[in-house]
Amino acid sequence: MTAKVAITLWMIGVTAAMFLLVPAQQGLGNTGRIIIFHVPTAWLSELAFLVSAVWSALYLWKRRPVDDDRALAAVEQGFLFTILATVTGAIFAKVVWGSFWNWDPRETAILVLLLVYGAYFALRSAIDDLERRRQLAAAYALFAFAMAPLLTFVVPRLSDSTLHPNCAFLQTATCKGITLSANGVGALGETILELRGIRHEGDLVTADVAARRGGGDATLLQPSYNTHTGQQVVQPKLAGTNFMLVIKQVNGDGSIFLNQQAAGNQSQLGNLRTLGTFLASLLGFTGLFWWIWKLRVNVMGLRRELTLDGLR
Amino acid sequence: MTGAICTTAIWFSRSMHTPTERPQPTLARASWAVFQKDLRAELRTRYALNALVMFALATVLMVSINLGSQLLGSEPLTPLVNAVLLWIVLFFAALTGMARAFVQEETAQTAALLRLHAPPLAVLIGKWLFNTLLLAGLTILTTLTFGLLMSLHVGNLPLLLVVLGLSSLGLATTTTLIAAIIAQANVRSALFAPLAFPVLLPLLVIAVQTTDLAFSGAAWNQALANVQLLVAYVLLTAASTMLLFPLVWEA
Repeated sequence: MTAKVAITLWMIGVTAAMFLLVPAQQGLGNTGRIIIFHVPTAWLSELAFLVSAVWSALYLWKRRPVDDDRALAAVEQGFLFTILATVTGAIFAKVVWGSFWNWDPRETAILVLLLVYGAYFALRSAIDDLERRRQLAAAYALFAFAMAPLLTFVVPRLSDSTLHPNCAFLQTATCKGITLSANGVGALGETILELRGIRHEGDLVTADVAARRGGGDATLLQPSYNTHTGQQVVQPKLAGTNFMLVIKQVNGDGSIFLNQQAAGNQSQLGNLRTLGTFLASLLGFTGLFWWIWKLRVNVMGLRRELTLDGLR
Repeated sequence: MTGAICTTAIWFSRSMHTPTERPQPTLARASWAVFQKDLRAELRTRYALNALVMFALATVLMVSINLGSQLLGSEPLTPLVNAVLLWIVLFFAALTGMARAFVQEETAQTAALLRLHAPPLAVLIGKWLFNTLLLAGLTILTTLTFGLLMSLHVGNLPLLLVVLGLSSLGLATTTTLIAAIIAQANVRSALFAPLAFPVLLPLLVIAVQTTDLAFSGAAWNQALANVQLLVAYVLLTAASTMLLFPLVWEA
């Protein structure tokens, strides 16, 4: 009871802080706030996978039905959190990147999780004998878990070329930017850029770039870059796209390296208020996860005691 | 059904022990006996063989009938599209036949007999050998028909052979364990694809990418990382299957 009230109040607090405390992200506005919910749910859906594998292994070793309850409860939680993470992520992706699904490596990973969890339920429901059901489900959970390390090597390869290349937001993708000297002209995706001048003020480098897309008029963008810290200071939005124009590098010969980048690509956790809210959210969701998991295990234990299976 | 029981019983009583004394057969001998029994039973009915061949042919024809007429005089398909099409055919054809080895034991009710007569590891290795053989045949047949009908250009043939070989091994290993799991469930055929797909996904992704490289004639050093991943997949699945199979088989 105390746990229930505490977690409820905590999550209300996190939700309030998400809107009141966290500053709006550059280039994202209020959309960026969803990250506070999205990232913890995604982490917990992965954690649930680990938890279910551990209890499955323990079940196969000790054959205690309660271990199977724990594994099943973890899969149930994992399924729930995976759906939450996928939905919040898809909303963010639609607003920021323009489509609900992009086959970005993390999206692929979470899809595999969703499929594994779904298959686990399908398998359980197809076996009548209780002991056999527990044993086979545990074996399948472990087998799927054994594939996980491989997936971390395989999945990043997808972003490279095959399915949905979108170089603008994939950090590992090979989207080539362009290097321009003064008065140079080049194309970045479908946008034609012309570098009209570079201004130096101390460490700050500002470029005057005329951007033209299709037959439209050129707009003047002024991205700037701090050579001392190596960070972008101003990242103007490229008209007609979801991306921002950034200076990636200032070369010794006076030329600059330009590329496009999606908003939301950089960590916002350097900001103390965002970091605090994020950690509070992570703690809250972990508490929620643990509490529901515990509750489900208790319910399943009671159900076992009330049926014949408990007497065996 | 009785035929299958008799085959199993006679084969094991002949090949593995005499009634008076019961020396434990070595693992290799027991595995070979399981493999031979499966092969013999299959050659009698040719159920899996017929189903697999017809399924593979039907799917290749389905692809070719719609795309083949387009090939002359227009842009040929890209190597990637060809690779994806080939792997769709291979994956689903494999899923139609691979479950047979274990499902048959359950439907003919010979599984208990096999549990009595052979250690789990021997059953696994025997069935795995059988599945690998079946899949190798299927892969060769499908790739040849696909290549002929789609007038496929293969830039790096040795690479293609390596990819197909390694992927067949991985596919056979994974599907053997999944087949052992679903053989004990109620809705066997419906479960196979949903259970196998998530664990096969890494293999399929790499296989398609490397097949694409082979079709487009990439050099070996370009494909080396992919080939290493395929080897890693085969080793990983082989190890986990050997650990988990006894638990599945005795369930």
